[in-house]
Amino acid sequence: MFEVNTVLAFIGLLVVIALTFLLLSKDSKMNSLQAAVDNLQRALDEMDEQAKLVVRTDIELNKAQEELDRKITSLYTLQKLSRTISSTLEENQIFKKVELSYLADLGFQKALAFLFDEKENKFSLRLSLGYEEEEAAKIKTFIDAHKETYNGLIHNEKAVSSIASRENPADTKSTKETFGVVSFVFAPILAKEGNPGLLFVGAEKTDTIITEGDEELITILANQIGQALENARLFEKTWQAHQDLENRVEERTRELSRALEEVKKLSQRKNDFVSNVSHELRTPLTSIKGYASILLSGKLGVLPEEVGKRLAKINKHSDELVSFVNDLLDLSRIESGKVELKLAPLNLKSIVDEVADLLAVQFKEKQIEFSSESPADLPEVMADYSQIKRTFINLINNSVKYTPQGKIKVSLTRLDKEVQVDVSDTGCGMPESAMDKLFTEFYRVDSVMNQEIKGTGLGLAMVKNIVTAHKGKIWVKSKVGSGTTFSFTLPQAY
Amino acid sequence: MLDIGIGFSLEDNSFLAAEEAIKQAKNQLNNSEKIDLCLVFNSYDFSAAGAIRGFNALLRDVPIIGASGPAIISDKGIFKHGIAVMLLGFPDGAYCRVAATRDISEKNPFNCGKELAEKLLLGFKNIPRNLGLLFFDQQIEGGPNFIAGLQDNLGRGFPCIGTSLSNQYDPSHSCLYLNNEAINNSCAGILWGGKTTFGVGIKHGWKPLGKPHTVSSAVGNIINAIDGKPAIEIYENYLGYDAAKLTKDLRKLSISYPIGVFIPGEKEYLLRSVVSIEQRGALVCQGSILEGSTIRLMISTPETCLAATTQAIAEAKKNLSGSLFKQGIVRNSRFAIVFSSISRYNLLRRDIKKELNLIKAGLKDTRFLGIYTSGELAPITAGSYRGQIYFHNQDFSVLIIEG
Repeated sequence: MFEVNTVLAFIGLLVVIALTFLLLSKDSKMNSLQAAVDNLQRALDEMDEQAKLVVRTDIELNKAQEELDRKITSLYTLQKLSRTISSTLEENQIFKKVELSYLADLGFQKALAFLFDEKENKFSLRLSLGYEEEEAAKIKTFIDAHKETYNGLIHNEKAVSSIASRENPADTKSTKETFGVVSFVFAPILAKEGNPGLLFVGAEKTDTIITEGDEELITILANQIGQALENARLFEKTWQAHQDLENRVEERTRELSRALEEVKKLSQRKNDFVSNVSHELRTPLTSIKGYASILLSGKLGVLPEEVGKRLAKINKHSDELVSFVNDLLDLSRIESGKVELKLAPLNLKSIVDEVADLLAVQFKEKQIEFSSESPADLPEVMADYSQIKRTFINLINNSVKYTPQGKIKVSLTRLDKEVQVDVSDTGCGMPESAMDKLFTEFYRVDSVMNQEIKGTGLGLAMVKNIVTAHKGKIWVKSKVGSGTTFSFTLPQAY
Repeated sequence: MLDIGIGFSLEDNSFLAAEEAIKQAKNQLNNSEKIDLCLVFNSYDFSAAGAIRGFNALLRDVPIIGASGPAIISDKGIFKHGIAVMLLGFPDGAYCRVAATRDISEKNPFNCGKELAEKLLLGFKNIPRNLGLLFFDQQIEGGPNFIAGLQDNLGRGFPCIGTSLSNQYDPSHSCLYLNNEAINNSCAGILWGGKTTFGVGIKHGWKPLGKPHTVSSAVGNIINAIDGKPAIEIYENYLGYDAAKLTKDLRKLSISYPIGVFIPGEKEYLLRSVVSIEQRGALVCQGSILEGSTIRLMISTPETCLAATTQAIAEAKKNLSGSLFKQGIVRNSRFAIVFSSISRYNLLRRDIKKELNLIKAGLKDTRFLGIYTSGELAPITAGSYRGQIYFHNQDFSVLIIEG
């Protein structure tokens, strides 16, 4: 029994020892677990603190990113808007180009623009976005009532906004209430030409934060509008000046037309006069010449030698006078269009040859070497034979007169649709100052030689009229002492 | 085989715009005489009355459903102004019905859901129903109850996806289309049935940050306290802003840093963005949140956001081939409807075109139409759908329909 009790006591002791050991072990484990939990809690708290840092850093980054995005979007919008505005040259259209969608991209929902008329001392509303008509009218009344304040904003030449830290000449609170916005920017519209103005943009969303960047953007936009207004006004001025000029040109043209009509009338009267006088002159001249011829023929008796000489002179001068009167008449007829040109295909070369034969005696008398030059394929011209022959006679005769000794050459050249005729001589030539008036009626070059050479001053005028009547051109090149070249063109026949 | 035509117009005149879009869509149909459904999305600035006149002129008795939203998503681009229509001709054996429940803010949400389900089920006798597509024109109080009421009639765990399109700045401009009416304060829905196959994908791309917290007091969509402290402190602590600054900026900040609600068994957190701060620092969320929920502050980058778009499309395509709404139909033609949160639009900013490019790349030859939304309705992970539908914020969801 004792042994059994001893064994049981021993076992009990062992159990107590084991339990104590277990308890101690568990306690140690608990302590260790508690330490781990504490560590975990600390780590969690630390992680939470780090999370706070992460969030705050993220907020800053987001803010920067958002600002950057806004700036990029705003700049992009501003660029689009500027391009649209600057392409407009009509003052009223400039404000219509500012649309609500652009405004939204700039981060605003409302906009107004006023121009200040300094003469009338009042504002005029030019742009209203995001407002009903009544609302805009009410705001305009408010602006007019506080003219000095808002005019001051223009003359300050600086943007003002609802940024709290900024001084704002326009009371921020009353502006917000009147314009129905939470935040806003005013920027002056400045233009060198014409009336200045004020651009207002506002945001009605409470989360819109106005920054200095917004002030700058709206200032740029207002400047762009100002620049566009200036351009439009300058364009308007230029256009007006252009219109004035056009009106003046038109008026002057009318005056010139009237003068031309007058000149035509005078010219007609002159032609009529010349024609009448010529006819009146021809009748007595014919009688004079007739009587002179009868007397010279000796039918009325032999005349004393001296009388015969004088009569021969009367006869010769009568011939010259008849020729002069005929020239005058022809000139007058051609000028007034009374001469009907009998146009036909003509071979100029053969006309030149005919004229050369006609004037051969004169060439010989003055020891003039005449030549002509013409390509084999020279086309025919469409012209009046008798008038063109007269032209050649006049021009070559002219050369003969002013070429005491030398050469005269007629060259015929084929052009694109015309034939060019050059009559050149190696004569005395003429000064440049004479050339402009050379084809004017009765004009004769003022020179010593000319005083000895007879002429009416009608030949070249007639030549010019004939060439012009054929739709050709005539001109002259000359150098004193080196000779003269008369050139004219005639249209090809085909 | 589904007959699909999509039309789009940027015309300012809504009547002419609707006409132009419908004509474009009709021209793409194989049989323009058989149109079974017209889906419409337009931007908020469009006049619904004008658009409806356009629909009436060209579509007559075709069922119409749609909504206005902040921007439209189409393969031609993302447009803040425009109207888009999708005309559908169904193959034999495929059905749909459109209906709406109105004045939802004045009614019991559960009853509203039941009412909509009853209307949708009319004419669905002996036809297997597959999926509900819902449009809300405003944020609904008691959203889970609405879904519960809907599922009470349509079937427990009946799959639904949808979207809320409330215009936060001007609610009077948002509207829903139902046949020849523009309606407000409503939920309009389509019930699909018969021989059509569906694939749904939904992802957001936000990751949890910091330690988990517990919602110690919440009612509906208002979180009063987190970890026994005023709920606003979570933002004060993490963002380092005081209450005044948060009152002004939290709505915008919570787009980037929403609250993520841990849902047991789900890999993704359910996002809740904060709309406003109430007295005593309570946070008003877009969508309800349960008391006792484990929440985390969430963070994302444009990259994770965009990766989510690709993942959602991949998930929808995977589901289409079988697991979620399996019908065993031979593949024919298909189209997709995409919903992307306006928060993503605001977050991605200039990178928003990248999301469109990813949608195009992911859907390839599948024609699609979509709209930016203010909230989405879907299972958290469509691939492991267990009958629970949630209201989401900031998600990208895609529904691919094949028939």
